[in-house]
Amino acid sequence: MVEFRNVSMSYDKGHEVLNDISFKLEPGSMHFLTGPSGAGKTSLLKLMYLAQRPSCGEIMMFGRDVAKAMRDELPKLRRRIGVVFQDFRLLDHMTAVDNVALPLRIAGGSGAQINEHVEELLRWVGLEDKMLSLPSTLSGGEKQRVAIARAVIRRPDILLADEPTGNVDPEMAERLMYLFVELNKLGTTIVIATHDSALVKKVGAPRLHLVGGRLLHIEGNKKDISDFNVGKERDQ
Amino acid sequence: MSRSFNFLPTVKSGEATRLLPWVMAIMVYLSALAATGSLLLHSGFDNWASSLQGRITVQITGEDKDQITAESLEIQKALRQTPGIEEVRILSDQELKTLLEPWLGSGNITDDLPVPVMIDVQTSEEAYVNLDALESKLKQISDNVYLDDHAKWLSHFYNLAYTVEYTALGILIMILLASVGIVIFGTKSSMSEHKNIIAIMHLMGAHDQMIAKAYQKRFMYYGLKGGLIGLLLSFITVYGLLNLVQDLSGGLVETPTLPYLKMSILLFFPLLFASLAMVTARITVMRELGRMV
Repeated sequence: MVEFRNVSMSYDKGHEVLNDISFKLEPGSMHFLTGPSGAGKTSLLKLMYLAQRPSCGEIMMFGRDVAKAMRDELPKLRRRIGVVFQDFRLLDHMTAVDNVALPLRIAGGSGAQINEHVEELLRWVGLEDKMLSLPSTLSGGEKQRVAIARAVIRRPDILLADEPTGNVDPEMAERLMYLFVELNKLGTTIVIATHDSALVKKVGAPRLHLVGGRLLHIEGNKKDISDFNVGKERDQ
Repeated sequence: MSRSFNFLPTVKSGEATRLLPWVMAIMVYLSALAATGSLLLHSGFDNWASSLQGRITVQITGEDKDQITAESLEIQKALRQTPGIEEVRILSDQELKTLLEPWLGSGNITDDLPVPVMIDVQTSEEAYVNLDALESKLKQISDNVYLDDHAKWLSHFYNLAYTVEYTALGILIMILLASVGIVIFGTKSSMSEHKNIIAIMHLMGAHDQMIAKAYQKRFMYYGLKGGLIGLLLSFITVYGLLNLVQDLSGGLVETPTLPYLKMSILLFFPLLFASLAMVTARITVMRELGRMV
């Protein structure tokens, strides 16, 4: 599903923030992306959600090298990827419903279909009473859940999350992680960049570890994920 | 083809684009005034020029009124016998007074004033009258006869008319170019203001066309709103100025009449500026987005 082959990247022809990265993620897998600040986690995610192009190497996604995709081909590819940003990046002038509906409206979905799906998803993330709230009135955890709902509304093939638990309390972090695990069980390939080593250990998903723009090792085992049921227990 | 929906926030008070409809209103106002001025002058020039074309003015000067009156009758007879001349008419004393009054003042034209005799001659449109030959013929009747076919004056007149019209056209083109520049500036400013929104739209799979559509709609609305305001203000100004001119009318200034049919073209100005703003915004957005990943 996702394969990096000797990928390097630099911003504006400056020094390389990613250096000779190679890895392969199986379809339906879940991985953590770890490493210290400045290691290149966000840059790696940017390459995966097609916001940047590598300076060299191949990025195989959806059966093709997306690094060489023409500019007008990118929207179609991007619609297959869901992204949860560290700073949420919700549109402040839109309600929670409208923010979550954005990917469907971009894809040309009809009004009734959009409302039905969006309201159902917002209920699923526990925001049924915040549907018409503006982001400025939501707490950090609520914003994060809106951002996650927006990222998954179109059932993307790949879900990328950059520090999704960075702005929420530990309890909310576990609840959000439970959401990711559930989505992964539905077949979505998930990559989560995080500093939270305790959470990584708790979920037990494989880990891509970056240091100074280099991928040091991949560790962990997918079968451990099924043991993660903190959120589930809490919801019950 | 991408669908269109408005993802842009309503314009906040601090945004530069908030002023754009008013700038467009000023541009349309100036354009409409320039065009109205040009149309009024064009219409006036046409009337004045057509009233002089095919006309010859014959003037007989002299201090002995009886002599020049007798000569004028002979000249009138000679003119009527000249091929190509359709109408010959000696202007009455009252007509001469009316012509002179604006310059000399009412009551200042006395009988002892050496006013020349004027003969208004209308030539046939099809025929050519050799002015030099005609003058030589008339000089045999009176040494003090002068002919004027207004050709020199008309030539200057046409030069002025063309200059005024091309100047008005130049002003219109400059206003249109300035409007394009303002829309480009406004679009770039708005894009900079909403760069995060545009980035999110892109990352969620929005095509450039979808983003451009939102901008082109917004700027078309600015152009239309500004255009209608500007047009209304220009109409008020033109009617106000015409009323002032009518108050002045006392013979010196002929009251201009609005060429209503031609002026109906001004009704398209808001549409023209709206279309210009729309196309400019689209091109600007597409070019700016093209530089992004």
